[in-house]
Amino acid sequence: MKIGVYFCKCGTNISDRIDPQKVMEEITKLKDVAYFETVDFLCAEEGKEFLEKDLKKKKPMRVVLGACSPRDHEKTFMNVLSKAAINPYLMQMVNIREHVAWVISDICKASDKASAYLKGAVARVQLHEPLKPEELNVCPDVLVIGAGPAGLKASLSLTEAGRKVVLVEKNPVIGGMPVRYEEIFPNMECGPCMLEPMLGDVLHGDNSENIELLTLSEVVEVAGYLGNFIVKIKQLPRYVNPKKCIGCRECIEPCPVSAKNEFNCSLDERKAISFAFSGGLPNFPFIDDKVCIRTKGENCRLCEDACIVDDAIIFDDKEKVIEKNVGAIIVAVGAELYDCSNLTNLGYGKLPNIYTSLEFERIIASNGPTEGEIQGFGKKGPRSIAIIHCAGSLDKNHIKYCSGTCCQSAFKFNQFISKKLPNTKIFHFFKEISVPGKETFQLYNKALNNPDSMFIRYRNINEIDVSIENGRLAIHYSFSSGKRCKSTADMIILCPPVIPSSDTAELGSILEIPADRYGFFEELHNRVDSIQSKLKGVYLTGSCQSPMDIQNAMNQGLAASGYILSGLPEGKKLEIEPIIASVDEERCSGCRVCNLVCPYKAIDFDEEKAKATTNSVLCQGCGTCVAACPAGAIKGNHFTVEELLAEIQGVLT
Amino acid sequence: MTKKPGLSMYWASSCGGCEIALVNINEKILEVIDKFDFMFCPCLLDTKKKDIEALPDKSIEITLFNGAVRTEENAEMANLLRKKSKILIAFGSCSNDGCIPGLSNLYSAKDHFDTIYLNNPTVSNPGGIVPQRETEVPEGTLHLPEFYDTVRTLSQVVDVEYFIPGCPPESNQIWDVINSVIEGVKLPPKGSVIGAGTSTVCDECEKIKEDKKIDRFYRTYEIIPDTKKCLLEQGIICMGIATRAGCGSLCPKVNMPCSGCYGAPDGVLDQGAKMIAALGSILNLEGDLTEEEITGHTNKIMDSIPDYAGTFYKFSLAGSILKNSVRK
Ligand SMILES: Cc1cc2nc3c(=O)[nH]c(=O)nc-3n(C[C@H](O)[C@H](O)[C@H](O)COP(=O)(O)OP(=O)(O)OC[C@H]3O[C@@H](n4cnc5c(N)ncnc54)[C@H](O)[C@@H]3O)c2cc1C
Ligand code: SF4
Ligand code: SF4
Ligand code: SF4
Repeated sequence: MKIGVYFCKCGTNISDRIDPQKVMEEITKLKDVAYFETVDFLCAEEGKEFLEKDLKKKKPMRVVLGACSPRDHEKTFMNVLSKAAINPYLMQMVNIREHVAWVISDICKASDKASAYLKGAVARVQLHEPLKPEELNVCPDVLVIGAGPAGLKASLSLTEAGRKVVLVEKNPVIGGMPVRYEEIFPNMECGPCMLEPMLGDVLHGDNSENIELLTLSEVVEVAGYLGNFIVKIKQLPRYVNPKKCIGCRECIEPCPVSAKNEFNCSLDERKAISFAFSGGLPNFPFIDDKVCIRTKGENCRLCEDACIVDDAIIFDDKEKVIEKNVGAIIVAVGAELYDCSNLTNLGYGKLPNIYTSLEFERIIASNGPTEGEIQGFGKKGPRSIAIIHCAGSLDKNHIKYCSGTCCQSAFKFNQFISKKLPNTKIFHFFKEISVPGKETFQLYNKALNNPDSMFIRYRNINEIDVSIENGRLAIHYSFSSGKRCKSTADMIILCPPVIPSSDTAELGSILEIPADRYGFFEELHNRVDSIQSKLKGVYLTGSCQSPMDIQNAMNQGLAASGYILSGLPEGKKLEIEPIIASVDEERCSGCRVCNLVCPYKAIDFDEEKAKATTNSVLCQGCGTCVAACPAGAIKGNHFTVEELLAEIQGVLT
Repeated sequence: MTKKPGLSMYWASSCGGCEIALVNINEKILEVIDKFDFMFCPCLLDTKKKDIEALPDKSIEITLFNGAVRTEENAEMANLLRKKSKILIAFGSCSNDGCIPGLSNLYSAKDHFDTIYLNNPTVSNPGGIVPQRETEVPEGTLHLPEFYDTVRTLSQVVDVEYFIPGCPPESNQIWDVINSVIEGVKLPPKGSVIGAGTSTVCDECEKIKEDKKIDRFYRTYEIIPDTKKCLLEQGIICMGIATRAGCGSLCPKVNMPCSGCYGAPDGVLDQGAKMIAALGSILNLEGDLTEEEITGHTNKIMDSIPDYAGTFYKFSLAGSILKNSVRK
């Protein structure tokens, strides 16, 4: 075999410490080494030109380069080999600079070590196989996780551009948080009406056939990378056939069991078969099998009996795991509110008539538990309502940051209350007021100018004490001067900060994207690239990235689709590095030792053949499985057992 | 009648089980004798070394050589039979990989003599007599062949055509090999393993195999395994994963773990090292563990294995990359 060896002096970086002459004498003694060339700067333009010409002239079958770290220039020289019509994998590069010249001062020792390494390379390179990268079309489809404002906007803009979207929503209904708000700040638009056109477009718009909506679903496994993710989605049974159900609600009434309705913040109950709330879309019910008595062995069929169409209720519906191939992933799972029961001094959960902002949203919503009525205070309503801002934010014992939206909801409530209950006084207890932006400021102004509102700045949320005095809620607090004071109200609304949802951590580990110090998904760069996660191909939108209002959530959804449309154009090709592992079926015994070892989830088990398989797209050639396979059935290209052994033997002889 | 091809079988450092395995082909032995001239087999026949020496070179068609090379005599016979045979087959685990005799490579010849003749509690040897290469007696000098410092496999001593693994090789496999020679089936390339599979024992084992995550290992007396499931998954070190197929998974079939007698499968250089790499891949180290916890946990799991060499290299130490212990 004709092997050409090139020795790069790297100026004097290498040749000052390693004697090329001495190395040449050693290396040219080897049987297969046809020639040995010394070059000043192999990576410089002249160096590359020389290498290309020399290779074309001498036509070696294998090439060994003694030079710098392959991390610096392996690709450079592989390209030169390609230009010289030699398969670039028929080359072995030896790092005689960092590994030898720079760490050994004795020129004799350094020359011997360089020779030993080069001998290893000469021995191994003979076994190299010509490898070819596989070309793969990227998958242009997109997975969107979460059907709130951010996810919906992303889905719609992507489908408008002709892309296919798999939209995964955990809840039985779509729309996220805002479909549960009666009115939307800053312009006090009707929430459900504002979102309804978008929801309609997703369900039956012009491009809706390109949106595969999976409700009651969660992503459970993700493997792959930009252009080629393989995603497993678990979908819970709905027990209702969306193709048959007409949404008439006849089935709800007869159902004999009920449970707290989490979609109304557990302020009322829903039946085992129910709609999340009225007007929720898609407009058909679901059966909660944790509540339904059929799962407890009873043969109840009251809902089915009441149903006016045939086969709309499917009692034997099953949990499904759906596998999808997508090119990019948009995360839009939203956020949740800080648990106000952590602020024990505020009486939440213990005293009556104390609600969180979200609970109050549901109370005032016409599709909420009380159909928008504030009950229990007679026709005139409560005499006064206290709204406590910063209920847990900007506080080192609770949440350090400001969510930036709570003040706005508080002022939204101010307008709503005054409109609905003109006699009610409104106290705003605040630590700071945060109302940036042209519209938001108006919101604040309106509250300021409302003759029924009063602003009270407290010093510290932990100094507020809420108790019952004479049947009303007494709020003791301190001014910034330290002076204690008391106000009385009939109802308290707490505006807690927005925090990462409880799903964020788990989803993060499934997607392998990190969280920031507050637990939100961490952006690639906070200013320049806040839509990209740290993992290429996974984008962050909406309040799972940071607390934000609907405007921003929508913008981020749009931005993510922009990233995808520009970065993942249809028809784009991915080149798959050929240094990957593959299973020899003849040797594989199906022992399953390798099944869990792959850090890239590239190993699958073909149950039918009882053999393991590796996925060339997912495999990164790390070699973990090659070491693990006790049958010697997995071959790691370019790092075969034979090549490694030859290299070791070469170094040792 | 044309002359029948010659067949010989020799035992070097071995237990005799290989010969029994050959005879275990039962009545088919008659067919063997019918087709071959069974020329030499100290266990069964009376031909002597001098008879073989008298033969022309390459006049034996096939020699089945079992036993490792422990002594000078073993080496001498290996060389002789090599010279006289067309096809020399390393037969059985000892000649393939060293087998149990090979485990003695953890100690030097002197260590063995000291233990066997001097220090063993059941030995009384007041004169401190140990075997000598030469001993003077009134009749002259007695010679003993050298007891080498290390046990070698047959192919470490002479050139070998084929390898039939097993301790002992399964009789049906022996018959298959002999029969294919009788039937004139084309022989595989030199150096091949014959009379065995290419994959591992798991391939032949009918136990249900699932994803493996092992918390601790059990010795066989410490656990009553679920007989349907893979033994390894239950924490019993079954060498089946790293052992060449061919036995029909005899041991796992009766719920005993494979101890590895068929040696490494194709594509594996070192059975013991491979087994350790595989076990390392299936230890249960799930969860958020610190480096120290991982080390601690791994050590604990490894401590439940009483004898590394005897577990992982029971049959293959002499033939492994390690070969023997470092002697100072
Ligand atoms: C009390 C309150 C009032 C507000 N009022 C206003 C207002 O008037 N105007 C305004 O502009 N902003 C308002 N906001 C802010 C607004 O709610 C957010 O900007 C908006 O909800 C963010 O949209 P999103 O799509 O990021 O998340 P969300 O609206 O939270 O939607 C996330 C979606 O993802 C789903 N999901 C969650 N986890 C998973 C999972 N693991 N798998 C699949 N799906 C999942 C959820 O079910 C949900 O449908 C208010 C916020 C609060 C707390
Ligand atoms: S470890 Fe090897 S033999 Fe076992 S299933 Fe995986 S590829 Fe097959
Ligand atoms: S070499 Fe094996 S373990 Fe590594 S990425 Fe490829 S399949 Fe996974
Ligand atoms: S019991 Fe042993 S031979 Fe059978 S599958 Fe498990 S490891 Fe393999």
